[in-house]
Amino acid sequence: MPKYSKFTQQELPACKPILTPKWVVSVFFLVGIIFVPVGVVSLLAARDVVEIVDRYDDACVPANMTDNKLAYIQNPNISKDCTRTLTITEDMKQPIFVYYQLDNFYQNHRRYVKSRNDGQLRDAAKANQTSACEPEKTTADGKPIVPCGLIAWSLFNDTYSFTRGNENLTVDKKDISWKSDREHKFGKNVYPSNFQNGLLKGGGTLDPAIPLSEQEDLIVWMRTAALPTFRKLYGRIYVDLKKNDTITVRLSNNYNTYNFGGKKKLVLSTATWLGGKNDFLGFAYVIVGGLCFFLAFAFTLLYFIKPRKLGDHNYLSWNRHPAGR
Amino acid sequence: MAEDHHGSSRHMSASQKELGDEDARVVRVGDAERTNERLEFAGNAVRTAKYSPLTFLPRNLFEQFHRLAYVYFLVIAVLNQLPQLAVFGRGASVMPLAFVLIVTAVKDAYEDWRRHRSDRAENSRLAAVLSPGAGGGEFAPTEWNRVRVGDVVRVASDESLPADMVLLATSDPTGVAYVQTLNLDGESNLKTRYAKQETLTTPPEQLAGAAVIRCERPNRNIYGFTANLELEGGESRRIPLGPSNIVLRGCELKNTAWAVGVVVYAGRETKAMLNNAGAPSKRSRLETQMNRETLFLSAILVALCSVVAALSGVWLRNHEHDLELAQFFHKKDYVSDDGNGNYNYYGIAAQIVFAFLMAVIVFQIMIPISLYISMELVRLGQAYFMIRDTNLYDASSDTRFQCRSLNINEDLGQVRCVFSDKTGTLTQNKMEFRCASIEGVDYSDIARQQPVGEGDRIWVPKKMPVSVDREIVELLRNGGETEQGRHAREFFLALATCNTIVPLILDGPDPKRKIIDYQGESPDEQALVSAAAAYGFVLVERTSGHIVIDVLGEKQRFDVLGLHEFDSDRKRMSVIIGCPDKTVKLFVKGADNSMFGVIDKTMNPDVVRATEKHLHAYSSLGLRTLVIGMRELSQEEFQEWQMAYEKASTALLGRGGLLRGVAANIERNLRLLGASGIEDKLQDGVPEAIEKLRQAGIKVWVLTGDKQETAISIGFSCKLLTREMTQIVINSNSRDSCRKSLDDAISMVNKLRSLSTDSQARVPLALVIDGNSLVYIFDTDHEDKLFEVAIACDVVLCCRVAPLQKAGIVDLIKKRTSDMTLAIGDGANDVSMIQMADVGIGISGQEGRQAVMASDFAMGQFRFLVPLLLVHGHWNYQRMGYMILYNFYRNATFVFVLFWYVLHTGFTLTTAITEWSSVLYSVIYTAVPTIVVAILDKDLGRRTLLKYPQLYGAGQREESYNLRLFIFFMIDSIWQSLAVFFIPYLAYRKSTIDSASLGDLWTLAVVILVNIHLAMDVIRWNWITHAAIWGSIVATLICVMVIDSIPILPGFWAIYKVMGTGLFWALLLAVIVVGMVPHFVAKAIREHFLPNDIQIAREMEKSQDSHDVTHPEVQMNTMARA
Repeated sequence: MPKYSKFTQQELPACKPILTPKWVVSVFFLVGIIFVPVGVVSLLAARDVVEIVDRYDDACVPANMTDNKLAYIQNPNISKDCTRTLTITEDMKQPIFVYYQLDNFYQNHRRYVKSRNDGQLRDAAKANQTSACEPEKTTADGKPIVPCGLIAWSLFNDTYSFTRGNENLTVDKKDISWKSDREHKFGKNVYPSNFQNGLLKGGGTLDPAIPLSEQEDLIVWMRTAALPTFRKLYGRIYVDLKKNDTITVRLSNNYNTYNFGGKKKLVLSTATWLGGKNDFLGFAYVIVGGLCFFLAFAFTLLYFIKPRKLGDHNYLSWNRHPAGR
Repeated sequence: MAEDHHGSSRHMSASQKELGDEDARVVRVGDAERTNERLEFAGNAVRTAKYSPLTFLPRNLFEQFHRLAYVYFLVIAVLNQLPQLAVFGRGASVMPLAFVLIVTAVKDAYEDWRRHRSDRAENSRLAAVLSPGAGGGEFAPTEWNRVRVGDVVRVASDESLPADMVLLATSDPTGVAYVQTLNLDGESNLKTRYAKQETLTTPPEQLAGAAVIRCERPNRNIYGFTANLELEGGESRRIPLGPSNIVLRGCELKNTAWAVGVVVYAGRETKAMLNNAGAPSKRSRLETQMNRETLFLSAILVALCSVVAALSGVWLRNHEHDLELAQFFHKKDYVSDDGNGNYNYYGIAAQIVFAFLMAVIVFQIMIPISLYISMELVRLGQAYFMIRDTNLYDASSDTRFQCRSLNINEDLGQVRCVFSDKTGTLTQNKMEFRCASIEGVDYSDIARQQPVGEGDRIWVPKKMPVSVDREIVELLRNGGETEQGRHAREFFLALATCNTIVPLILDGPDPKRKIIDYQGESPDEQALVSAAAAYGFVLVERTSGHIVIDVLGEKQRFDVLGLHEFDSDRKRMSVIIGCPDKTVKLFVKGADNSMFGVIDKTMNPDVVRATEKHLHAYSSLGLRTLVIGMRELSQEEFQEWQMAYEKASTALLGRGGLLRGVAANIERNLRLLGASGIEDKLQDGVPEAIEKLRQAGIKVWVLTGDKQETAISIGFSCKLLTREMTQIVINSNSRDSCRKSLDDAISMVNKLRSLSTDSQARVPLALVIDGNSLVYIFDTDHEDKLFEVAIACDVVLCCRVAPLQKAGIVDLIKKRTSDMTLAIGDGANDVSMIQMADVGIGISGQEGRQAVMASDFAMGQFRFLVPLLLVHGHWNYQRMGYMILYNFYRNATFVFVLFWYVLHTGFTLTTAITEWSSVLYSVIYTAVPTIVVAILDKDLGRRTLLKYPQLYGAGQREESYNLRLFIFFMIDSIWQSLAVFFIPYLAYRKSTIDSASLGDLWTLAVVILVNIHLAMDVIRWNWITHAAIWGSIVATLICVMVIDSIPILPGFWAIYKVMGTGLFWALLLAVIVVGMVPHFVAKAIREHFLPNDIQIAREMEKSQDSHDVTHPEVQMNTMARA
């Protein structure tokens, strides 16, 4: 005789929820009640964010070279300095985040995203460990590049400085990368070597005297972006800006995006608890909440129009068609 | 049986010519070496194990890779090893396949080890083999696996036979040996086998070398054997051997002190082993249908990959000139020697091919590999619950439910047609004498029954009826010379004499009392003889010439002057008895319709009429009826008969026909003695079970070897047939008449159908057909007609069918419909049908193990079919169906999320989700809940399912798994993947989000979403379900955290960082709500406005439960009633 237990007889105590009309309507109401206010709050928060975007890649090309931007950017003898003027549209409370934005730059391209070696970044003893770093693995004479790989090689190297009238707006470039990266991912005793010595320059150079853990621009850059249009933090300005202030940006337009039609933008933005200026979330919440309210009403109506007694055995198929008896 | 003998003798004469050519196997008695000179005969070692330690790895892998899915994953794992295509790391890509392979291999190894053990035990049993060299002819104990063809083997009583042997001699001077064939065909009574007179007298050591047996090649027919024996030496003679001269491996010698035989077939060539050839592995219908959906998924997969490949080609073409300098592409390899080669770029065409292959690797889990292992685990769990179910446990025989096949659990939920054996399946196969009609007086009144007084009996039959009719006892004792008393005595004398029963005297515990075991091929005869014994006519001894009967305490000797065996043409048997008072009497017993033809109705028409009435009453009760008649033979008559009989029995040609003629000549003008009613007791709960099955929409067909009348009466008693049914009877003796009756039946069906257009007034139809007609029908391609009639009938009863015909009938339905068939039986004759049907069930009861061995499931009682199908079958089907769909949906959702992302990476198959999460997704993140739910979830409780058998229709109508549901699940999956991907995408557009953080969000979102989807569909929440579903989500989070705690992975710390932002949580909530809304709305609408039966029953169950809580005493009552 098999031993009897509630488990073996599949009679464990269980809860058997049923989707009753009450449940359906209350669920929709509940979701609506949560979503609409959250959505409204998010929308308001997003509205509070002031964001100034300035695309400068085209504008910074000298007028005589607009037909051949590539020649402009590839010629080291042409000065890449460029001046932009921004007008503040709304009051901006500090801290003001300075981002650069790249469009159409596939930091998530398979060739690119794999081309790094995290072991080497962390540990000075593993400087020779350059596997997966192709095609920026070693110099032509076989010396290992530190940091190796396409990602580091393509380091963004435009620089910005800001003035309001005569006042210099200092950009604080400390603490723009993740603390965890500085402490655990990039070694304190790992120094750049053989970097950016190849035939083709991908981007910025690194000061070989500064350990990787303090090369914050590199650390930020190496947190590869998820999407082909992305921003990266350049620094913060700890000064409140007033509406209609005019900001002069002096930038050096070094980074080559002309070869693949990429765009470069400078972004000044404040931030809220929700992040930057994106009201998608707010709209989404309001719409979903509204939809749920609508569904709650619709179902209430439907339940009134076509009520059904729960568990009525007259609805069983063999009772519904008397012929089947 | 008689028919069989007849048939085989005819065959034998035909095949006798064929023997002797190279087809035959030549066995030199006692000379195994010369017999097997060419080493072509199998040894006697049996081997059921599949692997040896050496061959295990290659063979097991070979067998596992028969599964196409495994090949697919192997190919993908290999592709991934190519440097150009290496999407995943080595470990991550091989792990899932390796895991699945190892689990299966361990399971197979364990099973094979058990087979090895049983093989060893079987092969090392001992048998006494005549050692050829020894002068005296010693029988030396030899292990079974060393026994060879040609060896002479001596077997003692109660020993098993090591191989198929031709009997040479036995302890009985007439050469009789009794064998029990329980292991072979499941029949528990003893069979008589004979050694040939010619070999009987010669000592076996002299036969050795002097005799040659030519026999047919090994075959699986256990009822046929054709051979001849050539004795060399003085006169060269050929002695024909038939099935009655061979004893088969697996049988046991009984009641015979010893027997000597020569091995003709050994080991795997024995008939037992040939019949044992493993059941063809069955595949459940759900799995077959699943393959169709797998094809759809493959098509989707190919489509996705093609889209990615094509778009990547377009992208490359559009950016052709940019790629050299684009920092993220870096087309040229400046480090290589010429400084001008391309790095990992082979032109657009090659890149397209690579993109396609890489897409296959990335999207591989579109075809869910883990589903196969999940299904095996779920079936294991389901089997565990079926085995442990106390409702499937038979206390009377202490047998549990057995799951012998683990592949078709869910088929139990879709059965439409049940083919049942009768004897031993519907009935207990324990015949009992119930009542008698003697000389027109009915003795069936239960009120008059009294217990059998054992009192001063010397002879006690082993299976004694429990009660006797007081009035008959009175009549026999004190009736003296009244007419009625004399008739009663003759009636019981007839019962005691007119049979082929062999009484075996056993020593009981009481020395004064002897226990008699009545052995014979017919359980009915056993019952009749036992009944006669209970009434004081004890059959004590039988030899070929006489029988001894203890008549009411006085031993009397009767000479058996002649015996006409039962045959299916006459449907009766008779004996001619020389009584002690020198009279010669003919006793005849047989089926009523054949007997009334030979009874002299003019003698006493009142008695005949009364008896006919009683017979009708008996058969309506479901009793097996026999009519008994007699005639006193005059001296002349007897002598005339004797001459004819001797002439016929020595005839060389047409002996059977001649004997039948002699019998028919003497069996006439009989005086009706009376009739008997024997009950083959139904098993408990059979009528109720059949009723339930019928309510569940399952057609029940009964296939029996019994004769038509018995089959019909049993049909009535188990409520298969009812009085209002119209019976269509087809029993024809010729092809033409068969065709005619079939046509008649069709026109009748059509007429009835046209008459009753509204289904309410439909006349239920029952088809009764016999084996002979079936032979004609299958021979002459009238199968279609038969099918047409059969499906129009509510009940089909096939009687007098041979084992292979049973399979033929099952095949008839299987071939022509898509109905799921289930065959249930207990004897060896049901094996073919059990193997043919989609689901085979063996009853492990009175008869042997053959049916059980061939079955997919085995249980103790027929009535267990109801909980098995209606409860477990329903659950298994519903659970498995949902699990498969859910697995498809779950993996597809994940793949679509990956796909949307790929569209934003320049079509380069990058995944934001880490490769480890991709691999673990279907193995850890989401696997446990589906398995737990598929094992434990119940859509309805046992009580409800049994109360409303109609709910079984859900499985028959394929409500839990069909193409429509699949499409719904896929649409849901696409919607949810859109929600998972695009809500975070739109929110994080133009932000600083890094791919690891976004990947982690997507991972968590998709895992939570599919788990909540599952949670929404779970019907019963017990603590295990809670633990599995919420535990999985927690486990996923932990896994993601662990992966993000490894500093050398690019995504280091991302999850901690992103979880600290409000946006993450807001997006997660939005994804879940947006993803679930359509499913929730659809569910709410479906359940309330388009409820199916299961939904209604669930609600009823729920309200019942709340009722029970408030009124616990009511629940107790219903429990007690149930």
